[in-house]
Amino acid sequence: MTQVKEPRAGAGVRKTSLAFLRVDLIEEFNYPLTLVMQILGVIVPLIPFFFISELVGDSPTVGGDYLTYTVIGLGMTTMLTGAMSGFGGSLQNAFQRGTLEVFLVEPVPWTTLPLAMNQYQVMFGAVSGMIVFGVGIILGAQFDSSGILAAVGLSILGIIAGAAIGIVSAAVLLLTLKSAPVLRLYSLAASLLAGSIFSVNQLPGWARPLSFLLPHTYVINGTRTALMANPGSFEMEISTAVLALVIFDVIFFTGGVFLFRRTLEFSRKMGTLGGY
Amino acid sequence: MTDRTAQPSIMVENLVKRYEPSPGWMRLLVRSNVKRTVTAVDNVSFEVQPGEICTVLGPNGAGKTTIFRILVGLTTPSEGTSTVMGHDSVRQAVRVRRQVGWMPSDQRALLMRHSVQENLRFHGQLQGMERAELTEAIGHTLELVGLEGWATSTCFALSAGMKARLQLARALLHLPKVLILDEPTGAVDPVASHELVNLIRDICSERQIAALISSHKIEEIQALGSRVLMLDRGKLRYDGSLDALRQKYAGSLLEIRFRTAPAAAEAQLALKNADIGLITRMDDTELACELRSTVTHANVLQLLETQTEDIMSLQEKETPLQAILANIYRDAEGEYDAS
Repeated sequence: MTQVKEPRAGAGVRKTSLAFLRVDLIEEFNYPLTLVMQILGVIVPLIPFFFISELVGDSPTVGGDYLTYTVIGLGMTTMLTGAMSGFGGSLQNAFQRGTLEVFLVEPVPWTTLPLAMNQYQVMFGAVSGMIVFGVGIILGAQFDSSGILAAVGLSILGIIAGAAIGIVSAAVLLLTLKSAPVLRLYSLAASLLAGSIFSVNQLPGWARPLSFLLPHTYVINGTRTALMANPGSFEMEISTAVLALVIFDVIFFTGGVFLFRRTLEFSRKMGTLGGY
Repeated sequence: MTDRTAQPSIMVENLVKRYEPSPGWMRLLVRSNVKRTVTAVDNVSFEVQPGEICTVLGPNGAGKTTIFRILVGLTTPSEGTSTVMGHDSVRQAVRVRRQVGWMPSDQRALLMRHSVQENLRFHGQLQGMERAELTEAIGHTLELVGLEGWATSTCFALSAGMKARLQLARALLHLPKVLILDEPTGAVDPVASHELVNLIRDICSERQIAALISSHKIEEIQALGSRVLMLDRGKLRYDGSLDALRQKYAGSLLEIRFRTAPAAAEAQLALKNADIGLITRMDDTELACELRSTVTHANVLQLLETQTEDIMSLQEKETPLQAILANIYRDAEGEYDAS
């Protein structure tokens, strides 16, 4: 049987990404108060640490500058959280609103969806992280400007790792249809073990090795080394952080996309795709 | 006009879809209502030619939506094959989706906070349309579906009929060769529904689009005047024209008025004994006979030969399509009970 000539090549990754970005931006600006509250939700949690730093600011464990120490921890965590939660959130929204099937019936490979549906949240997370750094500077945090390039590189690698974890989480979400157990579990572990507001050295001995399993640990502590004259008692070489994050990125991203494809195929076979 | 010599736009061969119960491990993640294997589509085969409209009929759970979902690649068949414009809907799903305009039954399947034109722009971008081509296509398609004055309106503010038109516009925007419309008038009022059906029929005819349309509405099926695929519990019960369906399953409906009630009663008994079809007494003096397809009016008059003087009037009516469909499903019910 001869096949009919196709009228059009369909959208590539760039067009697909731009289409989703445009839709997400319009959506976000439809709810201005929510947007303002989201930004406040990033800034306000930093304020208490300003006062706590007045109390414990000179502790050598945190490099003698607890405010800067915490700003880096919270800023990088904010960036990574945006990257991790974006795709799962968009997917769940699409489930609930009944638009997922329409997305899936478009002639774009389904594996481009994790990128396309996540990019707004990645950008929002990155901007929110920068807002944390900006507010930190206003409050008195001091950064070593010579380490900015390294910090940017680490944050990009961290965002890729976060997005990859988000894809794994979304793959599981396709099966559970609600909530994101992987993301919740990971976020809990990261909040306890990655050392965002206290040093990994303060963790019990048995818990410390677990920290090294989390990309957050490398991003946060590598950035502290890059941006602080004294990063505290848990000093991580930038090269170590970069190497670890590259390994995380390759493993998690490849594994995440593979898992997402497999769960999509499984849901397609079970007939649960688009259901909720 | 349907071109029967061309390659079929849609081809479905021995299609079977069984929904299996979720594996045990999955039930820990989410509860499922499927406790045993359900055969949603059972060995269904048909073809749709370019320019041909096929209305898919069937009660809820007949397998209509499952077939549609298989065709656009949202689910996979357990057995059999389905192709759209020569592309396999499982292995070449992306290619299939370039050729198909899809309208799901769910009216929420629009970007509700976005404008009418933003909904179309998003779809066009994902279809790979260039900016200038897309802008032109949006204007033209909105005009085609009668939404030209609503381009900047937010979707949630539209009426159900307008939302249906917008969904149709989205399905048509990229000039598909095939339309798959799942209950396109489901939530639409009768007047808007009538207009939408006429619009679909005209567009398909003009653009030589092959269309599969599921519907529950009899008047819609009649308006489309299309080929009918009748599904019941996953099986294809009938495939043919509406006229042939009438000929095959419906005799004519004869209403006879008698001068007196005893004459009507006597006639009722005579016709019943002759087993000419279904006889119903409408009132004291009037009978309605739903005749078997092999029985003619002459046969009836012959049976009532002795009462011709008592007959005041005799009127032939077409059996309502609703009654024909109900009869077919009732017969199928009997088959299932027997098996």
